[in-house]
Formats: sequence, structure tokens, C-alpha cells
Amino acid sequence: MFRTIRSKIIVMTVVTLAVLLAAFFCYAVIFRMRTKQLMLKNFAFSLNSYIQKIDEDVLAIEDNSNDLALIGNLFYSTDRNPTITYDVITKVFENYPESLGGGIWFEPYVVNPSKKRTCFYAYRNKDNKVVVDKNFESEEYDYHNQNWYKQIKSQVTKENKIAWSLPYYENIGSNTMMITAGTGIFDGDKFIGMSTVDWEIGSIIKEVSEMKPTENGFHLFENNRIMKDYFVLLGSKDFDYILASTDPYLDNESLIGKSLKNIPWYKDNLKYITYITYHNRKYVPFVKYSKNGLVLIICLPKSEMFKYVDRFAIEMFLSILFICFMIPTLSYLIFKRYIINPIDKLTDIAHKIGRGEDVEIKLEKPEEFAQLALTFDNMTQNIKSITKERAKINSELSIAKSIQLSSLPGVFPPFPERSEFDIYASMTPAKEVGGDFYDFYFTDDDNLMFLIADVSGKGVPAALFMMTVKTLINNISLIGYPPKKMIETINKKICETNKQGFFVTMLCGIINIKTGKLSLINCGHNPPLIRKKNEEYEYLCLNSNIALGVVDDAEFEIFETQLNEGDIIFTYTDGITEAMNDREELFGEKRLLACLNNIKGENQTKEILNNIKNDINNYTNSAPQSDDITMLIFKYQKENSLMKTFSQIAIPENYKPFYTWLHSICDEWKLSDELKNKLDMCSEELFANITFYAYPESNGIINVSIDNSNDEITLKFEDEGIPYNPLEKPDPDINLPPEERPLGGLGIFMVKEMVKNIFYERIQNKNILTLKF
Amino acid sequence: MEISIKNFGISGIYVKAEGRLDLDSAVEYGSKIKDAIEDADETITELVLDFSDITFISSFGLKVILELYKQLKAQNGSVKIKNISEQIKSSFTMVGFDKFIEFE
Repeated sequence: MFRTIRSKIIVMTVVTLAVLLAAFFCYAVIFRMRTKQLMLKNFAFSLNSYIQKIDEDVLAIEDNSNDLALIGNLFYSTDRNPTITYDVITKVFENYPESLGGGIWFEPYVVNPSKKRTCFYAYRNKDNKVVVDKNFESEEYDYHNQNWYKQIKSQVTKENKIAWSLPYYENIGSNTMMITAGTGIFDGDKFIGMSTVDWEIGSIIKEVSEMKPTENGFHLFENNRIMKDYFVLLGSKDFDYILASTDPYLDNESLIGKSLKNIPWYKDNLKYITYITYHNRKYVPFVKYSKNGLVLIICLPKSEMFKYVDRFAIEMFLSILFICFMIPTLSYLIFKRYIINPIDKLTDIAHKIGRGEDVEIKLEKPEEFAQLALTFDNMTQNIKSITKERAKINSELSIAKSIQLSSLPGVFPPFPERSEFDIYASMTPAKEVGGDFYDFYFTDDDNLMFLIADVSGKGVPAALFMMTVKTLINNISLIGYPPKKMIETINKKICETNKQGFFVTMLCGIINIKTGKLSLINCGHNPPLIRKKNEEYEYLCLNSNIALGVVDDAEFEIFETQLNEGDIIFTYTDGITEAMNDREELFGEKRLLACLNNIKGENQTKEILNNIKNDINNYTNSAPQSDDITMLIFKYQKENSLMKTFSQIAIPENYKPFYTWLHSICDEWKLSDELKNKLDMCSEELFANITFYAYPESNGIINVSIDNSNDEITLKFEDEGIPYNPLEKPDPDINLPPEERPLGGLGIFMVKEMVKNIFYERIQNKNILTLKF
Repeated sequence: MEISIKNFGISGIYVKAEGRLDLDSAVEYGSKIKDAIEDADETITELVLDFSDITFISSFGLKVILELYKQLKAQNGSVKIKNISEQIKSSFTMVGFDKFIEFE
């Protein structure tokens, strides 16, 4: 699936881009996170600066109040001049631009026992000028009963002189929200009054309210534990009130001064909460405490706060995704155009060339492929000329093969008129031309020479050498030398022609078809197999001589044996025993023997050969043939011409078929008329004797055999009749006058006269009379 | 076996046969000639056997010849064999018949 360059490149690109994509994705996520952290940090920092400003203001207000307290003390302990005191107050205020106004207020009747209220008050008017207001001593205002006065008075002690009032609206002046810091004035341990400084927190609240980091952000400005931090000693009251709120879901005006518990989302540990859920939205709370216990809480909607960050992250991610798809697509397209398409084109051309079509190869771009195409073109031209040469060589090789094969006798039966033997052979070359060969021909009227040989080496050189050897053997064997001289001459001649160091293993047989006498010569070849009629095949162990073409004056031993009717000689080359199956196991001699013995019945040589061929094919199966496979089988099927038998019932009428048989044998053996006559006469006498004397009352079998070996004729009569030796009869006197001569006894006498030798035996119920001529 | 028997003169018989004179045919050969001798009006004294077409003679043939000879001898006659081949004649010689059989 991923074998083509195309698919490999696609896979590589996709994998690379997937990795890149993942890396960018991670980067985007980290970037988004970092940016958010940075934003939170920045926001918290800007919030800090507000709180710091508040802290500074608070300190300034408190200092201002302390200064006023000193002035008040001075006024009370000196001449109690109000004019000078006002001057000093005005001057002090000019040093504290944060203050809205302030004054010094005495307890009832402390300054003047006849005057209940004594106070000094100055404030900053609209032109930012400090002016004095003396109307606060009035009965209507009654400053002793104002909440701020009571609140501060209840908190201050001699040790902790400063305290803060709750925020309140001043109805008289500018109707702004104020908070008042006060410092107690003591005469010894006695509380005699206080100085106060008004701080308009409305402006701070306004400023913070307008600070909207996001469109829908809101914040809560609260004062908590201001007194606790600074006025612990004077009072233990915990202030819990709202200074300002911009909660979009609440009526903020009415909440001012009320408990923080009225804010539904408020919690004490808000500082440690990452976000709150309020009206189905998530808000990030920023909580900051000032030194004097003010707390500023700003809630920012999470989604909106990071809107741009998220949008940017998504945009970045999408653009990377787009690039990731664009790069492989583009690179694939480019790659396809400049590399794959030329390759496809070249492949197509190569296919066409392979089919033998004439194709013009033209590629101009890119440069590398143009070069390749040029090389391709040259190669095609070269291939064409090489192919032409190859074809020529191939056709010559196949001609050589057919010449070689046709040089081996290939027409079967080779001698259709000869029924005395049956011969069959085949050669299956492993390569185009092989080194194995076989041959058979008559060297004279009676002698048939057959041979099977294997030239060392394979291919054309072996085949050429084989042809030489084959011709040489043929020429020399026809001269008419006896086998020993013949083979030694052949060996010598092969040595002379053999300059390349070839050698030939050969098994050669010369059989006299008439007599069945076989001379076998084994020149370093595989041992042949012999099968006597009605017996099993067995390896014929003859002394192996040296292979031909090795030692020029080598001597050769000849093995002689007698073949009888039905005997078979099986010869082969090592291509059979060394045939291998796909597990590289050899066929072997044992298997060959077993295969031969498995062939049932009496077969012609062709059938035997084909049987073995099939066995080898089945064994090797698909394994390639590694060596030539050659077999030659000879079967002797001439009845023993020198030994004939006759068997019949012993009655006179059967003598006629007997002598007909006898005559044909005499003709076949070309015996003289005289001998033929003698045989006839003797046979008739003995046939009649058996008929009349061996079987006087019943009819029995008579067996006659005639043998023509050892230069004499042996005639044998056998019967199973009563013991009877005709030779015991006395001979007639042939010199008697004819009138006195008896009629009997003449026949046996004549027989004795005619034979060279005659003797009678009685063996196992048999009368055996043997006659020799 | 074909046998032709002819009388010649007043006391002669001429026999011509062809084939083998053996176990199979010798008895027939002998009895036919004997019949011819007995059937003749005159006493037969001359028996001529033409062997030109006889190819073989066995001991049975020779035995018949001896019988015929004995019969003619008793009648003071003689047996003559004409046109005999050397080979068949050698059989006669072997058993000493050449001493009393005349060959022409």
C-alpha cells in the first residue's frame, strides 16, 4: 500500500504536518494561558495603584486630623483666641488638598461654661479655596448629636486617638458622600473634644466606577475593618457596609452603607476564588485591600475579559490548520507535476518498450528527467541491439539443442523387424543443451552395442564435447575390435582430443542378440540394474573402471554375463539418483530400486522408463531439474534359441507334430540333412518306445528337449512311465542271413549306431534318455 | 501316404509311394503290398519298390522291408529298390540290409 513514492510522500507530509499541528496547538494553548495570566497580572497591578492612592489619601487625612487636634489642644490650653485658630486651620488645610473640609469640635461647656457648643470649621469651596464657616455652632445643627460625632467619640481613647465615621451624605454643602476621620483631644485623661477632617470618597468611587476593563464588568467598592486596623483600642465594633456598588442586577443607591451580605455573590474568601458564577455568567473577582481596611472588588466577565485572547488563539489555530492543509496539497501537486508525472511517463514508456513498441522518449522538464530520458533512450537502443543478438544466440542454441537431440536415436522401436530385444531410452536436458547422451547400434549382424554416458560439465562446451565423444565411440566400435581393445582405443582417442580436461563416465554393453551373451564395461558410471525374469531388480556390481578421457593408457575390465529371455538391463545417469526435491533431498539409489520393483507385471521398456520418469517428477515436484536425466533400458526377449522343448501325450499320432517341430529347429539351426535325418530316426524310435513300453496301458506325457550348445546337439527324452531302459536290449546280429534275422531290436540298434553318446537315467519317477550327436 | 501298386509281367509288382516311411505309414505300406501279393493270380517273385519319392525311412520302415523280403524269399522271389537316395540307402547299410536287398 505504501510502496509508491507518492504514498510515502503523502504519509510523510501528513505525519510531519500532524506533528507540527500538534506543536502549534500546544503553543496556542500555552500562549492563551500565558496571555491570560499576564492580563490578570496587569489588571491586578492597575488595581493596586488605586488602592495605594486611597492609602496615601487616608494617611494624609489622618495627619490632617492630628494637626487639627494639636491646634485644638493649643486653643484650649492657651488664650483661646478664635481668630488665630482659624488662621492656623486655614493654613493647615492648604497643606492637605485631599481634604474636603474639617474642624475642631469641643464637648458641651468645656471651653466656655456658658456656651454649650464651641467649634471651628473650614472647607474647600468650588474655586478650591479654603473658607471658614461659622454656622456649625448653631442650635439647629447641634453637632453633638450628629452621627459622625457620636461614632468617633465612641471609638477614640487616649492611646488610640484616631477613628473613622461611617460614610454619610452631607446635606448641607455639596451633597456629596463623605467619610470623616477624627482625632480625640484630651485634657489629661478627660475627653474634651475632637478634630475632624472630611474626605469626599465620592470622587474616588466615581473614578473607580468609571474604570471598566470590560464592557460588562462591575465592581464593588467597600470599606471594611477600617476602624479595626486603626482604632482597635478604642472600639471593637466591626464595620460592615457598602460604600459603592455598580452591580448591574441590584439597586446600588439603596445598598450604600448597608451590609455586604446584601451582595448575593459576596464571600469572605473571595480573594482565593478564581471565578464566581452570577446570573449564568462567569466572573473573575479581583480583590484588593487597602491599608485602612478598604476593599475593592472588581468582577470581570470571564468570556469577555479573554474575548480577544480566545479569538486570537482560535484565529491563530485556524490559520495554522489552513497552512497545514495547504502545504501538503501544494507540495503534493508540485511533486506530482515535477517528479511523479515524469516517472509515470517513463514507466509507461518502459512498458511500451517492454512490449517491443517503438517509442520516442522525449522529456524536456525537469532537467534531471530530461537527462534520464536521454539515458533511457540510449538504453533502449542498446537493448534493441542486444536483444537482437540474444535472439540470434537463442535461435542458434535451440538449433544446437535440436541437433544434439536428433543425434541421439529417437525413433522407437529402432529396429522394428527385430523382435529378440526391446530397447528404449530418453534424455531430458537440464539446460538448453546437456552433457548426457546415449546410443545404440548394431556393430555387426548379431552384436548390438548400447551405451549411456555423462560428459563432465554442462551447457554448450559439454554438448560439443559430447558430440565429439559420441562420434568417436561410434567410429571405433564399428571397426570390429574385441570389447577390451575397443574401449581402450576409445579412451586413448578421447584423451587425445580432450584439451579442456573433460572426462566422460560411460556404461557400455555389447550383446550378442543370438546367444544372449552380454559384455558390460563400466567406465566410472553409476552401476546398472539387472532383472532376471520373474525375479526382482538388483544392482549389478561390476568392477568400475576409470572414467574415459583421464588416463590415456588405462586398462579396462570387461564383465560378461548371459541374458535369458525376459531379462532387463536398466542404465541411467546420476541425474536420476541426484534429482532433488524441494527439501534438497536426493532421489537416491534405494528409491530407484524400490520404484523399479514397484512396477507390476511384465512391461515393455518404454513403460518402465515412463514409470520411472513419473516417479522422479512426483518426487522433485516443483523443484527445478539440476542435471540431465537420461535412461536406457534393454530387454532381452529372444527365447533361448539353443534350447528347445517339446511336450505332448505319448500316442503314435503325435509323432507327426513332433517331427514337424524337430524339422523346423533343424532348419533354424541350419543343421545338415544327414544330422536332421539321424535326429528324426532316433526320435521316432524313442518316441515309439515310450508310447509302447513306458505307457503300455495308459497315455502319459512325453517331454523332449534339444540343446545346441557346446558344439553338440543334445536330445533328451523324458517320461514318467514304468522304468524302462531300452539300452538293455541286446543288439541284433546284422551278419545273420536275412531269413534268420528277427524283426525287433532294429530301432535301438540304429539309434546306438547313429549317436556319439547315449545314456539312460532314472531320476524321480522319470526315465531320462540323453542322446548326443 | 499315397501308394500306387501295379502288376507287371506275370509275377511282378511295382510299388511307388511318396513321403515318409515311418511309424505312422510303414504298417499301411507293408499291408497294402502284402495284400497285392496275396491277391495276385500268380505267385509273385519280383517286388520292385520305387523309392524316388520316399523322403525318410525309420526302423519301422526297415522292419516292413525285412518282412516283405522274408515273404518273397519264401516264394523264391526277390526285392528290388529303385531310385533310392544315398541318405536312405545309408540306413539300409547301417542295419546290413544292403547284403540282401538289390538296389537299382
